[in-house]
Amino acid sequence: MKRLIAIVEDEPAIRDNYAAAFTREGYVVRTYGNRSQAMAAFAARLPDLAVIDISLEDEPEGGFELCRQLRALSAELPIIFLTARDSELDAVSGLRLGADDFLTKDLSLAHLIARVNALFRRVDALRKPPDEQEQTVRRGPLALDAERMRVEWEGKVVLLSLTEFWIVHALARHPGHVKNRQQLMDAANVVLDDNTITSHVKRIRRKFQSIDPAFDALQTVYGMGYRWVE
Amino acid sequence: MSLRLKLLLLGLATLVLPWDGIRYAREMEAALRQSEQHSLQAVSETIAASLQGRMDLLYRNPAEPAPASNGPYDLTPLVLTAPPYIDGYPDDWPHGGGTWRHYGSGSHRFGVLTGIHDRMLYVLLEVHDPDLVFDAPGANPLDSSALGDRVWIGYEDMGVQQQVFLALTGAGPIIARRVEAGEYGEETAAEDPRIVGALQPEPGGYDVEIAMPLSMMGKGFGVLLDDRDRRGADPLSYGTLRSNDLHALGRLIVASPSLTPYLAQFMQPGMRLTVSTPGGAVLAQSDELAVPGALAPEPGILTQFYRRFVDRRGEPRFIVSAAPIYDAGHHALIGELEVTQAANRWQGLRDRALTRMLDLTLVTSAIAVIITFAFAAHLAVRLSRLRRASESALTREGIVTQFPETAAPDELGDVARSFSRLLGRLNEYTSYLRSLAGKLAHEIRTPLTIVRSSLENLESEEVSPAARQYVERARQGSERLNAILLAMGAATRVEEAIGNAERLRFDLTPVVASAVSAYRVAFPERRFASELPAEPMEIDGAPDLIVQLLDKLIDNAVDFSPAGATITVRLRQEAAAVVLEVDNPGPALAPEVRGRLFESLWQSRSGSDSRPHFGLGLYIVRLIAEYHRGGVAATDLPAGEGARFGVRLPLANSPLLPNYNDKVKLESV
Repeated sequence: MKRLIAIVEDEPAIRDNYAAAFTREGYVVRTYGNRSQAMAAFAARLPDLAVIDISLEDEPEGGFELCRQLRALSAELPIIFLTARDSELDAVSGLRLGADDFLTKDLSLAHLIARVNALFRRVDALRKPPDEQEQTVRRGPLALDAERMRVEWEGKVVLLSLTEFWIVHALARHPGHVKNRQQLMDAANVVLDDNTITSHVKRIRRKFQSIDPAFDALQTVYGMGYRWVE
Repeated sequence: MSLRLKLLLLGLATLVLPWDGIRYAREMEAALRQSEQHSLQAVSETIAASLQGRMDLLYRNPAEPAPASNGPYDLTPLVLTAPPYIDGYPDDWPHGGGTWRHYGSGSHRFGVLTGIHDRMLYVLLEVHDPDLVFDAPGANPLDSSALGDRVWIGYEDMGVQQQVFLALTGAGPIIARRVEAGEYGEETAAEDPRIVGALQPEPGGYDVEIAMPLSMMGKGFGVLLDDRDRRGADPLSYGTLRSNDLHALGRLIVASPSLTPYLAQFMQPGMRLTVSTPGGAVLAQSDELAVPGALAPEPGILTQFYRRFVDRRGEPRFIVSAAPIYDAGHHALIGELEVTQAANRWQGLRDRALTRMLDLTLVTSAIAVIITFAFAAHLAVRLSRLRRASESALTREGIVTQFPETAAPDELGDVARSFSRLLGRLNEYTSYLRSLAGKLAHEIRTPLTIVRSSLENLESEEVSPAARQYVERARQGSERLNAILLAMGAATRVEEAIGNAERLRFDLTPVVASAVSAYRVAFPERRFASELPAEPMEIDGAPDLIVQLLDKLIDNAVDFSPAGATITVRLRQEAAAVVLEVDNPGPALAPEVRGRLFESLWQSRSGSDSRPHFGLGLYIVRLIAEYHRGGVAATDLPAGEGARFGVRLPLANSPLLPNYNDKVKLESV
């Protein structure tokens, strides 16, 4: 069964281009121009994944509100924010509302589709019964399941966004190796500037520290990048 | 001229007060002098009236008519202040007296000066005589063959003329003798001990001093000189005496002994009373001019100082008033009275008033000057505060910092407030401009996304190879446009990062060391030298931002240095700050560039490369340095072989350092 992707975007040209790209990839796409349209449709049937723009027509923060409502309808529905904005505050707000990823429109279509595929992979993996495979990376207290995009620290699940997951994945696979920002961006399939990478890393540390206050495995190598220390 | 100085001058204008005071004091003094003159005139007329007709009080011989003019043999003795010592030397007589009388002529003459002191008559003879002949030693004074030069003194006593002679027996004391007829007609020379004399030879003559009590004589007095060329010769006689001729005896015009005590009762300190004959010869004088009066205490230093401004040169120090003394019938003058008063009698009064007034006015002036100066200082402080505020209100980027609020209700407050309003408006405009780039980027991003996603969709379509190259070009163009958008937002994102940054205390040295080793990998075409201190350099701040700052400095150094050049990164402590410097060989900074390097959207790059440049790199350096309460500076390397960019950051626990901007030379960083 083909998966249904909902695109909520007020700019028709972009909306249609994205829809065309997803359709070409074999997804069923529904597009909505504003929040009320989208909510009416979602009430009738939930999509398998939603791509939401933050500003919607006359609502500058309409995407956030939509995300909140959608999350209320379904706790597991993958949500991706796609926005022309790139401010860190927006990203934090979006992710706090329970979005699975936060992407800027700078991202190429190919990258976007890769992210969507990855999210579906994660959802599928989570639904599958857990089995210890070689996809799992273990580094001391860290358990990294690339199949399900699931991270555990000392046996507890760390809820990372997709971008964050790929950053941790790229670092933890080769502990002690310094990855520069460009390498991390490539690993996460995103185009971000240095500051955004820095804030992602900070957020990752905070998420780990909320589980283990002594967490110090993700180190900054000033001027070079970051490394994972066991 | 500063406002302070101007207002000070204004305050000094009050010095016209003491100046007026001085003028007033002068006028007051003139008036005082005038009135004092009048009262002195009244005093002198009163005293003169009390002496009217009192010949007995004025003259020793009241019976004689008033000596309106002196006869040829009249002598008017000086009133001596001290008795001369009878030794033959004239040096203890007053000099320049006008009462000399001269007798004889040619080489045989003498001058006589008389003086009175304490009821004694003193006589000084200055004799011109080339041949001084002494009596033969041991001879009888009456032996005519042994006679030398001698002095005769004649006087009237009880209507009888008496004569005494002083034989010149040698230098020193000479003895007065009178010739007395014995019972049998023989003459003897009896010594008269009341009369004392002394002689001293002089070149071309000799001096004789004689003293005798006034009580032994009546009204007449005369001197005669017997001048002999040799012992025993006939004498050449000249003088005021004729043998047995009472009429030839001149008068001795002398004041009555009770005149001086009489005058003394009118005396006051600082006053002189003089009674003289109608001819002008002083009869009696009572002098207390030098005695300071009660009204004129010793002037203080301040008074003496004031006086220098008030006193006029050549002002008489005395006031003099004279009144005639008439006889009982008010017909003829019998004498003259002169009253002299020292000026300091009223100067004392004036000085007291003057001192008080000048004190007052000077204090007033001083207070006025102090108040104006304080006011001026206050104004200047306010003005300079306003100036500083207005200078620092607008940064080079046009960012308006806060302007101090003022509630001062005066014009200066109005200026400050209108300036504040002006800045407020400017701020609105500037923030509009500042947000413009971000807004523009955001607005452009959406159509750009349309273009890019359309192109990407197009790539999946069947496109002819000829069309594909256009698609590829369009894609490249849109990628560049995207890069431009990213660069445009860079500064805003750094500002945002600064806003969200967390301060923590860290050692700068390992951070810089690690960053430099990263640059060695990142820029293989440059060599990197680092000069780092051994001790830790702890600062409070964000290490990420510091690395970003260093990235921008290194970017800049790489861009402006030739391939193979050595870029030096230096970290050193200076006082309470740590200085981070990046030296790169290459072109020197143009002078007009230096002040603007750290401004937003400013760059001096020549040529172009594929990367978009908005001149934000060094501006970001500055933003980060200022976040760390530091400053930035750029300067040429010595010999102009490159440039040096420096950042000064306060060390942890150091007192807040003032921002220094790029006006400061890096040598002092």
